[in-house]
Amino acid sequence: MPVNLTRNAIAMMNSGDFNSKPLVQVVDIKLIGNSQERYRFLLSDSESTQHAMLATQLNEQVRTGRVKKGSIIQLIDYICSTVQNRRIIVVLNMETIIPEYEIIGNPKLLMGSEPEANKSMPNNNLFEPSTRSTNNRYSAPAPANKAQSFQPTIQPAYQPPPNYKIQGPIMKNEAPARIIPIAALNPYQGRWAIKARVTAKGDLRRYNNARGDGKVFSFDLLDSDGGEIRVTCFNAVVDRFYNVIEVGKVYLISKGSLKPAQKNFNHLKNEWEIFLESNSTVELCPDEDGSIPRQQFSFRPITEIESAENNSILDVIGIVISVNPSVPILRKNGMETQRRILNLKDVSGKSVELTLWGDFCNKEGQKLQEMVDSGLFPVLAVKAGKVNDFNGKSIGTISSTQLFIDPDCPEAQGLRAWFESGGRNTASISISKEIMPGGSKNEIRKTLTQIKDEGLGRSDKPDWVTAKATVVFIKTDNFCYTACPLMIGDRQCNKKVTQSGNKIWLCDRCNQEFEECDYRYLLQVQIQDHTGLTWVTAFQEAGEEILGCSAKEMYLLKYELQDDTRFGEIIRSRLFHQYLFRLKIKEELYGDEQRVKITVVKVDKVNYSAESRYLLDMVTKNLPNRKQF
Amino acid sequence: MDTSSPAAFVNGGLLRMHVGRKVRTVIQVTRSDAGSVMGKSTDGCQLVVRGSPPAPLTSYVEVIGVAENENSIRAELWTNFGDSFDASNYDQLCQLANGELKHLFL
Repeated sequence: MPVNLTRNAIAMMNSGDFNSKPLVQVVDIKLIGNSQERYRFLLSDSESTQHAMLATQLNEQVRTGRVKKGSIIQLIDYICSTVQNRRIIVVLNMETIIPEYEIIGNPKLLMGSEPEANKSMPNNNLFEPSTRSTNNRYSAPAPANKAQSFQPTIQPAYQPPPNYKIQGPIMKNEAPARIIPIAALNPYQGRWAIKARVTAKGDLRRYNNARGDGKVFSFDLLDSDGGEIRVTCFNAVVDRFYNVIEVGKVYLISKGSLKPAQKNFNHLKNEWEIFLESNSTVELCPDEDGSIPRQQFSFRPITEIESAENNSILDVIGIVISVNPSVPILRKNGMETQRRILNLKDVSGKSVELTLWGDFCNKEGQKLQEMVDSGLFPVLAVKAGKVNDFNGKSIGTISSTQLFIDPDCPEAQGLRAWFESGGRNTASISISKEIMPGGSKNEIRKTLTQIKDEGLGRSDKPDWVTAKATVVFIKTDNFCYTACPLMIGDRQCNKKVTQSGNKIWLCDRCNQEFEECDYRYLLQVQIQDHTGLTWVTAFQEAGEEILGCSAKEMYLLKYELQDDTRFGEIIRSRLFHQYLFRLKIKEELYGDEQRVKITVVKVDKVNYSAESRYLLDMVTKNLPNRKQF
Repeated sequence: MDTSSPAAFVNGGLLRMHVGRKVRTVIQVTRSDAGSVMGKSTDGCQLVVRGSPPAPLTSYVEVIGVAENENSIRAELWTNFGDSFDASNYDQLCQLANGELKHLFL
């Protein structure tokens, strides 16, 4: 199938024609750049070639092979700029028309463009073949071969209007630079301008380092294409712009420098960050630009957060179903801060715990508390929350988090509609509870001596196993503890409470006092199977299964009624029952030594039918003649 | 424990291997008269068990007795096994007890 590339496309592009959408061929692709992934194409119109940088938002196309060497592509959006007397084309948008094609024609390098934009050439003579060592298939251009009908001109892309004022002795080109999408910003860009809305404004921070005192502030921008970038100002620049920048307003910004984004603090989807300097310009656009959204979110359903990586940053939106009071928390550095825990629920049927820290507790946290107390269930959108995997998965605020109560966005409306038409009453499963890996399908069965022999519990994650064993001893001293009955979200606090005064209990975590405490099991039990025996600890649910009654009943029997006979009878009656114990095994530091601690997470009565099947399976698996394979 | 005359675990198909000898099996009662009980063995065969069953009789009953022929047993001992029973487990046990693990049983 014959293909006609656009005639003289290269020359046209170089002379400032950006409106045609030429069809060109990619004759080479090179990955360059020290720390960032940047691709440099060599484009050909079958006669001449030109280097072009690929805007990073198109990197995916090279990686996935949608565009490769030999591909015929159509350039949809591109710009041409001059950097250090060299012409660079930047491709902002392109489409692969034919992915694979043999090289068309005999393209030669066009005069006026240099292959290596980053390196300074020791020999500027373009016509020597030795400078083109990387591209052997092209013949070196010689002056006599130039059969172009016009000379390429090296000019800026935009011609200043003739009546522009000349200021100062040096004639500078003060023409306003062309507005480009934020996604196209890169350090190779000549002059650029962006028009964007401020979505976040950071605090003014002062610092002191080896170079002395300084101050800094940052703000985030969002443009009409959805591109986002952070802008940072230092010292004197802070003074110029700190009061100018307001969240929600649109600004025209130009002449900043582009540097790699600091991924630790900057969670925007941009590899670059703008640093404004003394010659930077920031102009407020008073006319409301409806094409630029106020905020950009990429909400994840709560069910996806369950599999999110610890410490990853994400956006989430949900209905607030509970808000807890602020509690003061002592941090590791000795400073005190506030903490509040909320629970969010969404259409995925899951709920997640959201922890607010510091100011969020007093501002948004307080407002949410009042709303929930008066019977409302507001929608809360979280931008840039951090995933924490301490207990299941939960989300916490960080300094760059933003909270939006009842935001005016389609997701909030959708959530509200779902909630009102039934979502309110559907129970949701919290992902912020500790998960037990391995359901009944992939339980690992071990004997009690295997736990010790195989060194279970010694790695950094606990081991979860099932063992069939019999209760042989139950320790009756300290079989339960006094627990806090107050609710934190949909979970009971359960922290051990201390007695303050007669009949008054105090919980440190909830910071509240109450008269009635709860009693929860903390049983030390010895279990035995045909291989050996071991001590395990059983908490509330497991304890109730083993003893067949609540911790409170046993407590009252022993300590209030002081009926040791009845107490003893109950304990004895529960011995020598066989169960399937689901055990969590973890080595922990007790004082100086490492001890393997075994906790009973679940107690199940042995189902004889299922257990027989399990044993029959084990027997047939281990029969001698099967091992002959 | 008297281990002098062990009863072999059988299902319908294995009964013929022990004709004239002491056997034990579990059947699901299909019909019960005075003097005999008809039942389905754990591998689906129809067996006749002669003797006096207990009253009342549950759905599943274990019988220990002497195998008369390949589908009838003269029972000496009857034990009600209740109304729910995992027949496939028992069947697998019979196969193991007569096959590779015979030496553990007789």
